[in-house]
Amino acid sequence: MTMVQEMNDRSTPKRPEDKLTIWETLRRRPEMVTLTILVVICVAVSIINPNFLQPGSLIDMGRASVVTGLFALGVFAILAAGGIDVSFTAIAALTMYSLTKFVITVAPDLPMAAIIAIAVVAGALLGAVNGLLVHGLRVPSLIVTIGTQYLFRGILLAFVGTVWLMELPPQMTAFGKAALYQFQGANGVTVDLPAYFLIFPVVVGLAWFLFDRTLMGRAIFATGGNPEVAARLGYGQRVVHVFVFAFAGALAGLAGIIHVSATRMANPFDLVGTEIEVIAAVVLGGARITGGTGSVLGTVAGVLLITVVSNTLVLVGIPSTWQRLVVGAFILLAAAFFVRRKQKPKQRKAE
Amino acid sequence: MAFKGLKIGLLAATTAAMLAGAQGVAAQEGKSITTVVKISGIPWFDRMKTGVEKYAQEHSDMKIEQVGPATADSAQQLQIVQDLVARGVDALAVVPMDPAILEGVLKRAMDRGIVVVTHEADNQKNTMADVEAFDNAEYGAALNERLAKCMDGKGKWTTFVGSLGSRTHMQWVGAGEENAKKYPDMELVDPNNESFDDAQGTYEKAKEILRKHPDIKGFQTSAGNDVLGVGRAIEEAGLAGKVCLVGTGLPNPSAAYLDSGAITAIGFWDPQKAGMAMNSLATKILAGEEITDGMDLGVDGYHSVSVRPGAGDGVLVVGNGMVLVDKDTYKETLF
Repeated sequence: MTMVQEMNDRSTPKRPEDKLTIWETLRRRPEMVTLTILVVICVAVSIINPNFLQPGSLIDMGRASVVTGLFALGVFAILAAGGIDVSFTAIAALTMYSLTKFVITVAPDLPMAAIIAIAVVAGALLGAVNGLLVHGLRVPSLIVTIGTQYLFRGILLAFVGTVWLMELPPQMTAFGKAALYQFQGANGVTVDLPAYFLIFPVVVGLAWFLFDRTLMGRAIFATGGNPEVAARLGYGQRVVHVFVFAFAGALAGLAGIIHVSATRMANPFDLVGTEIEVIAAVVLGGARITGGTGSVLGTVAGVLLITVVSNTLVLVGIPSTWQRLVVGAFILLAAAFFVRRKQKPKQRKAE
Repeated sequence: MAFKGLKIGLLAATTAAMLAGAQGVAAQEGKSITTVVKISGIPWFDRMKTGVEKYAQEHSDMKIEQVGPATADSAQQLQIVQDLVARGVDALAVVPMDPAILEGVLKRAMDRGIVVVTHEADNQKNTMADVEAFDNAEYGAALNERLAKCMDGKGKWTTFVGSLGSRTHMQWVGAGEENAKKYPDMELVDPNNESFDDAQGTYEKAKEILRKHPDIKGFQTSAGNDVLGVGRAIEEAGLAGKVCLVGTGLPNPSAAYLDSGAITAIGFWDPQKAGMAMNSLATKILAGEEITDGMDLGVDGYHSVSVRPGAGDGVLVVGNGMVLVDKDTYKETLF
């Protein structure tokens, strides 16, 4: 299965000077394609506008990738298990807004760590609802999560509130503003790397461990590859389904609360509508929409690619109207490559 | 469903009976005006509701209320208007989500003798009068004039719109560009950035612009959340008070950034006054008054409205309801 195949890859000696070997590497490790495109874009952008290489702009990219990145890791788990989720943004919005409102009105002294913990647990519970429905109803996860997206968002707007919360509790503002590193740019512009950025690499590490080192990771890929075989191998399908959706929900809850702290306002209409971009990032990272493949590293590369593309177009002078066109072109380009890579090397030689 | 139909039928019958009875008495007495907003429960239309309620208090002999769908959904708004027409209200004051979708039902309403007034829909064909708070070109020019004043008439500046398809936003920045021509030292760079009314996206884009043009001096923005996104980018960069930002925004959400100097000034129109103006105009039409240029609707900002031909048979009633506030004045109209 894919996992086994990937493990074999790692033991294959690589000779970068050999053209065919490079092709082979790219074929087996699709995230390398994404990384290559990423590097090419970065080089091109820095040639067009050297301002890109300022530490400030790199920090901005890092900062901008946190929320999308957390969402993407959750979506990756679900794609790997052969499902899809479009409700995670609604989970994030419901969690972040309700929790912020709760902290403001009921528990203004709640420490930030507790707020984050509650967001993660609440998100996981909402995600678990998706998992139980997908497993219990035996309905495609796309249908279920379209339903729950409307449901969660409806609950938020109908029962929780529709008013922008501008005065956040001080601990959340402090969390959003806390800087790891701060410096003055050339024109007196202050740039700081926010402390919440650290959460992203930590979660990436955890996700990598989960997928590459635990039985659950193996079970997820097995389920995505062929659910019947996975069930026969003894991987509990119910557990896998509930786990991946709860995992995505937990990350969505976390992303939501980071989003609120970073933007310094809780807007109940935020986030929902960004799910396609997140799914695009995961697919760009090499995860097949039909499940069973992909890697955490690839997902991170996909997120960075989307972030860089959407944050440098002004810098290189591409007008707003063209931005979606460029992003769409990249997705198609990567997709075309991923289809080609599935061809056997022998066929390629014959060409 | 049958029950619902029956109920509506009964309602219509009673209303018709009431109407018959009401005739002959003073024109507006007992008449009903229903204001239909785009979405209920958001700050903007909550504020409009305070105006509608105030108008209802002043006219206790009439039945005046405000309704709206729970989500920004033009189909739901259509449903509400259809129900109201079936119920037989005397006048409708509608803020259309999507004017095109409401054309049919509003025509039917007018055919039945219901007075129809709209707001924020200068392209609505089937309306007797569309109330606009201000002339879009004048508003855009006023925002830009405030920006130019802050920038001392020189330096690089840029513009944000909700989306390139948003007609009013394009009118505002277009008029702004036109106004900036008075100042040859003002240089427009990378204009018409799309914000999609998303504060986070606007923030990222504003940071990028600050990086590309380290010497930028001004931003003119259009969608309600743009000032919040650009304001945060300016504040975080330590440029509050050094870079000017003038755009459409609401006082309450913008308060912190106005105080810090990250937002120079915000422009808007007061939905409370717009709601009152719509109801006032509907009352006048119900009473058979003619809509004339320079007429007084009895509401601040609408004391001398200009009347122009509308998109259809109706007229366009343009007030002078523009509000431009800064750090020192925003508290006067806090909502």
